[in-house]
Amino acid sequence: MILDPLKPAFDPVDLAVPVFVVTIVLEIILARLGKAKAVYEAKDTATSLGMGLGSSVAGAITGAAIFGVSIWVYQTYHLFEIPMTAWWAWVAVFFLEDLTYYWFHRLSHERRFWWASHVNHHTSQHYNLATALRQTWTGGIAGTWLLWLPLVFLGFPPAMVVIQKGISLVYQYWIHTEAIRRFPAWFEAVFNTPSHHRVHHARNPRYLDANYAGILIIWDRMFGTFIPERDDEPCRYGVVHNLGDFNIFRVAFHEWMAIGKDLAGSRSLREVVGYVLGPPGWSPDGSRDTSATLKAKWRAREEVNSKAVEPEQIAAE
Amino acid sequence: MVDVGPRATTLPGRGEGEHVNETLLKLAVSAGLVAFMIVVAAWARIARPVAPLDDASARELLAGEFPDRAIDSLWFAGDGAGVIGRSGEEALILYRLGDSWVARTMPWRLALVAPVLRGKVLLKLRDPAAPIARLAVSGVNPWPPQTPGEALAA
Repeated sequence: MILDPLKPAFDPVDLAVPVFVVTIVLEIILARLGKAKAVYEAKDTATSLGMGLGSSVAGAITGAAIFGVSIWVYQTYHLFEIPMTAWWAWVAVFFLEDLTYYWFHRLSHERRFWWASHVNHHTSQHYNLATALRQTWTGGIAGTWLLWLPLVFLGFPPAMVVIQKGISLVYQYWIHTEAIRRFPAWFEAVFNTPSHHRVHHARNPRYLDANYAGILIIWDRMFGTFIPERDDEPCRYGVVHNLGDFNIFRVAFHEWMAIGKDLAGSRSLREVVGYVLGPPGWSPDGSRDTSATLKAKWRAREEVNSKAVEPEQIAAE
Repeated sequence: MVDVGPRATTLPGRGEGEHVNETLLKLAVSAGLVAFMIVVAAWARIARPVAPLDDASARELLAGEFPDRAIDSLWFAGDGAGVIGRSGEEALILYRLGDSWVARTMPWRLALVAPVLRGKVLLKLRDPAAPIARLAVSGVNPWPPQTPGEALAA
């Protein structure tokens, strides 16, 4: 195989498309036969897959330009000569790309401008393999691809970075399932798994803003965003305020529209900055809920409930 | 999973015409596969079972969506696919979408004057993510409630 630093030898996602189709059909059939846990609603599935298809179109429109920027950075500025044929280079890009992905993903949840691009992936109230394909249409415009440029600047060939990104994307596909409960502890400790990613897709206050990992869950453990799935609190999927219909244009653009509406009503620079770069749910008067306020309210309820239970237990004893 | 940028399918290097043709072919094949998977999902009938709302199920769902709100009264959509709970001066709105539920709030006074068109009360939610809720109105459950402000099914 020829490894051209400026032209990927293969696209992992393209190669995985037949696997996507076969495994989705398999998950549905196994669920139909009662052999696996999976819930599919036809319109929701159509929305997820339609978003995936639209994402391919959006990628085709913006992808070449974005890759062109990567090539330009590589040819103009790269610090080191990193050979694509060296094994250590692939090990290094695996870890560095995955670390980049963690921060990209965290940013995409914790700042509204990037959440607007990413939210579509979380709009299904189901968690199945089709949900994995509910992809963004506006990622290119949101500019998060800039976060990968430092790798190219370091000297990792653009083709190498693109291939590794594809591998990460394919890895993250199979973890969108309820059919697999948990893996052995060592695997759950190191890798992102269906269990960890179910938590990431959950809207329960306990689970909000957690498990941003791509392939390795170690980053969440390292940076304090890891939350394990609990058997006593099943994940409820979707977003805090679920969408009102299955319209894929609404799925793709609703948060951008909401930002526009808020900006139109802004009265100061502080409000503009807050609405665009604050956490999702930020508002000048605090009348809306962010993940932080939802968690705080949930913790307060838990505390009240636990205090209410204690006297009952004492009385029972 | 997130689509994080360009992939090999979008790369320059070959003739423009050849690239466009290949992209269109891939798109057509993908669209066919998508249609196939949707048909399989519809055939399987493995959505969540959703029964019409009753008092207990409505209260349970509303408590999940609005855990800090006390419910003064409930109004049920004629088809059991939605409910409006009054919580002080706010209307807590819950309606079915597929096999799932969507929840929003709006001022009770605005909910009371929401129009009824073709047998459904249209509640403008002022949210780009869910601009309007349509709840079926029946002769048994007219909208607005017969005794606004009073407990209907508390």
